[in-house]
Amino acid sequence: MANTKKYWSGLDELDGTDAFQEIQSKEFQEQIPVDKFLADEKLNSTTTGRRDFLKFMGFSLTAATLAACETPVIKSIPYTNKPAEVTPGVANYYASSYYDGMDYANILVKTREGRPIFVKGNAATGTGAGKVNARVIGSVMELYDKARLEGPTKNGEATTWSNLDAAVSESINGNGRAVVLSNTIVSPSTRKAIESLGAEHIQYDAISYSALREAQAASFGVNAVPHYDFSKAKVVVSIAADFLNSWLTSTQFAPDYASLRNPNSGSQSKHFQFESVMSMTGTNADVRTMISPSEEGKVAAGILAVLKGGAVSNLETKLSSRVKAAANALSGSKGESLLIAGTNDLSTQTIVAAINQLLGNYGTTIDLERPSQAYRGDESAATQLIADMNSGKVSTLITYGCNPSYDMPNAQAFNSGLAKVSTSVSMNGVADETASRSTFVAPDHHYLESWNDLSLRAGRIDLVQPTIEPLFNTRAAQESFLVWSSAENADWYTFLRSQYNGDYTSDVLYSDSDWNSAIHDGNMAGNEVSESPNYTASIETSLAERKVSKVKGGDMELVTYVKATAGAGQHAANPFLQETPDPVSKVTWDNYVTMSKSDMVALGLNTYIAQEDLATVVKVTVGDKQIELPAYMQPGQKPGTIGIALGYGRGSNGEKIGQAAYQTGEKGQHLMLDSGLPMPIGVNAFPLTSNSEGNTIYASYDVNIEATDREYPLACTQIHNTYMGRDSVVRETSFDSYLAEADKPKGKASWNMAHALNVHDDTNNDGVIDARDKENTSEFDLWHSHPVKDVGHRWGMTIDLTTCTGCSACVTACSIENNVSVVGKDEVLRHRDMHWIRIDRYYASDYSLEKGADEGVGVISSYGLMEDPAENPQTVHMPMMCQHCNHAPCETVCPVAATTHSNEGLNQMTYNRCIGTRYCANNCPYKVRRFNWFNYKGHSKFENVNPAHDSLARLVLNPDVTVRARGVMEKCSMCVQRIQSGKLEAKKAGTAINDGEVVTACAEACPSNAIAFGDLNDTGSQVRAISENNRSYHALEEIGVQPNVFYMTKVRNVDSNEA
Amino acid sequence: MKKPMNSRLIRVQHLALAICTVLFFQVSGVGAQSIWEAGDPIGGQTLFNTNCASCHKITDEVLVGPGLYGIQDRWGSSDDMLVQWIQNPQEAHESGDKYIKGLVDRYVPTYGWMTAQAVSKEEIRDIMAYVSNPPEVIGGTADASADCPTIDDDKVEESESENAIWFLILFVLFITIALGASGVKRSLTDVLAEKNGEEMLPDSSYMQRLGGWIWNNLVFVSLLGVFFVLYLVVAGYSALMDIGLYTDYSPDQPIAFIHSVHVCENEIDCKYCHHSAYESKHAGIPSANVCMNCHKAIKKGKISGTVEIEKIYAAIGFDSNSGTYIDGEGEIGNLLPQDSYDGEPIKWNKVHNLPDHVFFSHQQHVTVGGLQCQNCHGDVSTYSVGRIAPVEEINELVDAYPGLIQLSKPTLTMGWCLECHNKAEVDMTSNGYYEELHERLNDSERGNEELRRYLEDDKITVRELGGWECSKCHY
Repeated sequence: MANTKKYWSGLDELDGTDAFQEIQSKEFQEQIPVDKFLADEKLNSTTTGRRDFLKFMGFSLTAATLAACETPVIKSIPYTNKPAEVTPGVANYYASSYYDGMDYANILVKTREGRPIFVKGNAATGTGAGKVNARVIGSVMELYDKARLEGPTKNGEATTWSNLDAAVSESINGNGRAVVLSNTIVSPSTRKAIESLGAEHIQYDAISYSALREAQAASFGVNAVPHYDFSKAKVVVSIAADFLNSWLTSTQFAPDYASLRNPNSGSQSKHFQFESVMSMTGTNADVRTMISPSEEGKVAAGILAVLKGGAVSNLETKLSSRVKAAANALSGSKGESLLIAGTNDLSTQTIVAAINQLLGNYGTTIDLERPSQAYRGDESAATQLIADMNSGKVSTLITYGCNPSYDMPNAQAFNSGLAKVSTSVSMNGVADETASRSTFVAPDHHYLESWNDLSLRAGRIDLVQPTIEPLFNTRAAQESFLVWSSAENADWYTFLRSQYNGDYTSDVLYSDSDWNSAIHDGNMAGNEVSESPNYTASIETSLAERKVSKVKGGDMELVTYVKATAGAGQHAANPFLQETPDPVSKVTWDNYVTMSKSDMVALGLNTYIAQEDLATVVKVTVGDKQIELPAYMQPGQKPGTIGIALGYGRGSNGEKIGQAAYQTGEKGQHLMLDSGLPMPIGVNAFPLTSNSEGNTIYASYDVNIEATDREYPLACTQIHNTYMGRDSVVRETSFDSYLAEADKPKGKASWNMAHALNVHDDTNNDGVIDARDKENTSEFDLWHSHPVKDVGHRWGMTIDLTTCTGCSACVTACSIENNVSVVGKDEVLRHRDMHWIRIDRYYASDYSLEKGADEGVGVISSYGLMEDPAENPQTVHMPMMCQHCNHAPCETVCPVAATTHSNEGLNQMTYNRCIGTRYCANNCPYKVRRFNWFNYKGHSKFENVNPAHDSLARLVLNPDVTVRARGVMEKCSMCVQRIQSGKLEAKKAGTAINDGEVVTACAEACPSNAIAFGDLNDTGSQVRAISENNRSYHALEEIGVQPNVFYMTKVRNVDSNEA
Repeated sequence: MKKPMNSRLIRVQHLALAICTVLFFQVSGVGAQSIWEAGDPIGGQTLFNTNCASCHKITDEVLVGPGLYGIQDRWGSSDDMLVQWIQNPQEAHESGDKYIKGLVDRYVPTYGWMTAQAVSKEEIRDIMAYVSNPPEVIGGTADASADCPTIDDDKVEESESENAIWFLILFVLFITIALGASGVKRSLTDVLAEKNGEEMLPDSSYMQRLGGWIWNNLVFVSLLGVFFVLYLVVAGYSALMDIGLYTDYSPDQPIAFIHSVHVCENEIDCKYCHHSAYESKHAGIPSANVCMNCHKAIKKGKISGTVEIEKIYAAIGFDSNSGTYIDGEGEIGNLLPQDSYDGEPIKWNKVHNLPDHVFFSHQQHVTVGGLQCQNCHGDVSTYSVGRIAPVEEINELVDAYPGLIQLSKPTLTMGWCLECHNKAEVDMTSNGYYEELHERLNDSERGNEELRRYLEDDKITVRELGGWECSKCHY
């Protein structure tokens, strides 16, 4: 069955708004605004006459010419004492690990001339297939943040370490109560260093999973977050758990999940998602059902009921049938399935644990014997601490690795308590919300400057090693603990080594090959400790069932969630992450309220989103708290619910947390609040969370929402770069249709038919020339031959739409690898984002004009038949970058041959030749060319957002890639610098390039292995095999440009009649 | 004209082997002859240079160990003790000899122990024969540098601009004289006319008369004008084409480093200092610790004495008196360079400047392509500080370097690069990478077609494999 779906990027496209029509017909949205310039009133009052103007111009021309003749003297400064391992021009890689209380990853850090410039997954020895997400990739930028503290401070003034140490030690050893408050510490040695202090240690998590842990404790007697193995889960049912993006240590789950999604193996896992906000995980679900947050427990209870042979109760019919379907799928895959819930409600988690126990998943897909060490925060202890602080019972408070003044649900109470603590010490690297309120700041190293050992699960220790000398006068937090505890030897590295080598001393040359190989690999074996879970919770479960059945929803319910880019607020000042569009909403640089279309229409809000279509600001009231945010129409949002992302509104008190953390205006200046403070991006939603039975609840069932008369521009890229009405880019099918034709040759299966044109020739030999005489489009060509087929290399890429989760790790990786300019919100709003790779997110409605015509319904009524396409659409993520067409339309129109084809199949862009006519971009059918409208590295508009601006942040730039100048075109080069260096390595070794040795930044970053890169002329390569697979096709095949990028038809594990 | 470094190394290895053999078969008690007599100074010189010269001088200057000048007169112990001292200093010290003890007390605390030398008594005799005779008697020490150019520090290069100034002055002078002469002529004509009673010429200005003259000689002036305009166009064009050309560019450097002394006289291979040319895109400027490999011992230069070498010491923190390194606290006595020492690094002026949008890799050309350094950098052994060699000069080296590719475009221009890529042949047979590419071309119809096209001139050039494509160097 051919695909009859209609794909649309946003409501604007679906409804064909005027704004969208205009956008669609233009490559560049805002041309140089001549009209605006000439209409400027001031222009008439200017005193510069024509003659003066000519004089100035002549002078400038002469001056510029003369200046250009000057030979610049460039200094070349070698090391005085060169370290043996550094060779200028050659990158070194160090194995390390990343942990920030939320994300956990084994990484490789690329350094050039001693400075880290790129972070990637450690594929060789990492856990979770050595994959990382956008947040981890972007973290390298934070090393070079100008806002980092350059040394210890006291009351905001610089002080010395010795003064600070004296004061803090005295306070800790004094009579009062001393407390260390931190995020969950997974480092065994750090825990020991904190213990040495003799102070009380309380842990809390910004995003809490205490209910999940307590449910395991109540049901199995193991108070820990289990480890989930998605690589064995053939059926996944997720109740509002965004496990591909933010739920638990999601970097560990995405690759495993993707490994069961590829239908080529003949099977595909089935994924049900029940949720209210459209999450990134939800967009990948085979069956996504909208529920309110208040229904989450009932869904879990319903599944349990069905599994026990009963019926679903308390839910509406349509929802009940979906719950039943999910339950049946689970029971059909016992021991090979997973039910997870994102909520922090104990009752729901208890039921979920009972279901997984019933399904026999414990011991197979769920490991509680060797559980995760993450998320061990004790919320009740933290709450008690705040009370004690407020009653003056705490004299010393040391905060480490956390930002409670920002991310605690009751941050206000914490702040007032903090003011009553006589000696408060923060160890954060920037003067953030907590640090700026603390007496002392003892700044910790950035993780790329420090040593550490991490243990996510027993049996394995991951090591963190420094990849650069500390940039500032900071000190490892652990060393500070040791100093304050008056340890005999307070050197942190010595302390860390002594944990593994009892006889280690720092004053003799001590070599230990085990340690050296551990540092090389980034990990070593740890002590095996295993828990013995024992299920005992049938009574608790029935209690929980009763409890959830009594939950009453409200008219409007709120869900707070975590975005793929900002995290829980840690990355607020990271320009690369802020500019990476959210995988679902495609909004950059902002926070908003996601709403369903029907609710927005009822409130009279603007449902479209474009440069001229501003979003309406709404006022959300939860209890006594109110926040105002723009409303964003999110297809798939359950009507009657709204969603707000956490992690925004950082630095709302003007804290110096980094330039990029604040809103910038038309000229790039920071926008100011009436109070004279810089305007933060979005609003902090942590205060909207509440506490129930000691657990933080990230939803609220009683919310009031009302429209305001304010409007607000949201920089959303969803309708940028459309295909001008061509909608043949996506191909999709259902799993059973795929299986039915899985053996057909390429181009013959109904779901991936080769595009054909009618010809005036009897091609089908039926004796008549008619409409059935067709020939494949690939047979027609303006060009003589394919230039690089079978000749030398032919670099190509394959992208599997089935496994692409839309996570945007590739976008961030590409931007950092290729020095892609960050342009800021105002420019994104003008459609001038510079990303070389974007992920087109399409919503698909299961009704189309064709289907309507087949059923004999008119155009208007056929749309009417679709309930509302924007209600709960299916989603397709499609990464789009330069397709490196072998018959490229851009190459033929360049008047100066600045874009040409290489004999390795690359569409080359030569910046120094480009004169900026932009013909190429206008002629590009894929809309992947980006124009440098400004001198992004020098123009004052970008000084608050673009890393190339200040001398510190500039250190993150990749020295092998040109920083482009104003007025030139740029686009994906397929990481030609990596290709060239890969070829050179092969030549030096005197061997052919092995498949996988040359890989682009996006392919390397892809957590689900959806992107593959290699040599299409290499008969043994992975990309060659995929390109010949019957699922592969060229986007916009009908235009016959012969790209080197192949897409693979998306296969959804649904029955064809429900697709 | 110069021996490559490795042949020298081989020589040293042979020598070491020979010494070992001699030691193995050594027969003790060669004679009652004094160690100071009957040695062979010529053989001794070789032995001294191989074994001793890195620490001892034959003058009285202290290098790492004491200078050996006058050792025959001051050695205060027995001959056997001298032999033992050289062959095993610590054992000699343990024997309790007073003179040896004095030596140890004086030098070991600062410089450390002398390394035990694998030389026989006979060889020591030869060495002593050499050091106790002034070297000029033996002669031939300057052999190696005989062919090397002498670099004159104060050499003033006559610049073209100075010539132009002289030309301008002469031109002004000529015009003045011409106008003056014309004035005189005119006065004389007037006088003559007055005398003859003829009508005086109308009193017209120079400009009027110039106009008149032009009117009368219109064809000549037009032709002259055309030539003048053509000249301007040609001169202007060539001036514009010269913008950004740095042929023969050789900026002053913070250290007046002399390549000819290092490369020609001392026969140091390029890659000893510029080793990263083989493993990186940059050839690299040697770090000061590389300089110190030799200059820890060589404290005085041939031309500039200690002035230039002291600059290296200042950068890395080397105390030349004690021969040790200074640490961050200013303490001497360290045998290795100290990272804690905060010296001002040497800020060289970059000579070979490529624009930022050019990616050039030395290792591609040197390690893979097997190009000689001279092909792009000329005969560095004749330079003082770094310099961009003019292409004509490089072409002249073809006799000495047979593989050299002759080019015509100015050095370091894109035309120069492309010209070479068009001429240079790729060896498709001795590198696995190219072999595989070759096989691919052979294996397919389309590839075969291409291959035949490549081989029309019987060779596969860099250009044919994509060496003229933008993304090879610009990304």
